[in-house]
Amino acid sequence: MHGDPSDNVSVERSITLPAEPDTVWEHLTNGSLVGDWMEGEVSITPRPGSPITMTPEEGPVVWGTVEEVIPGRRIQWSWRTDDGLPTQVEFELAPVEEGTTLTVKETLLPWTTTGLPPRWIDRTSPSACLTAAA
Amino acid sequence: MVPSEVFAALADPTRLEVLTRLASGGPATATELSASMPITRQAVAKHLVALDAAGLVERHPAGREVRYTFDPGPLGDLVKWVENVGDTWDRRLERLGRTFG
Repeated sequence: MHGDPSDNVSVERSITLPAEPDTVWEHLTNGSLVGDWMEGEVSITPRPGSPITMTPEEGPVVWGTVEEVIPGRRIQWSWRTDDGLPTQVEFELAPVEEGTTLTVKETLLPWTTTGLPPRWIDRTSPSACLTAAA
Repeated sequence: MVPSEVFAALADPTRLEVLTRLASGGPATATELSASMPITRQAVAKHLVALDAAGLVERHPAGREVRYTFDPGPLGDLVKWVENVGDTWDRRLERLGRTFG
């Protein structure tokens, strides 16, 4: 049931930007540039296994790990908020005539894949705590 | 409830069928549900435990049996999560687009 990520809920969006993929890549992997449009302070190293953190303008710090990097083409990480849910974020860049199409997909990860108990994930939900205790 | 757990509970077609029957047919026990489905009472009971863990049904003990009712609440949480994440990326990508504008 939890095995295939395609079974999970995800949200996908794309935008075509008037720039080369390498330029768009900079805006995904250079912390100060990422922070400009991600609405927060972002620390990122585009290398698998490296930490990524984002301190949003509002809300708790989001932190996680970079999982996959194909320079100029694709970057993927998983993260979770202090009081929120674990998700996987995938960015793909494709060169097009007008520039670059950037696609982002955020997928909800089941808590079982994170090794964390559900009460840690959703400590605000009384029913989740009851489920964890049962 | 954790949205991913709600979605996982709905991902099994038989379990979804059990939930659909509760939602359309009203409260029922595992025995009553199994009578109109090609699976055993034990199999229905197992699906009801998973639906209960996801918060999608409510348990009402009735004698030796348990009567279950459909609880749509967690579905709203799941929809809300999808809407919030979609809105966030719309806003971020629009902001990114403006830096190239």
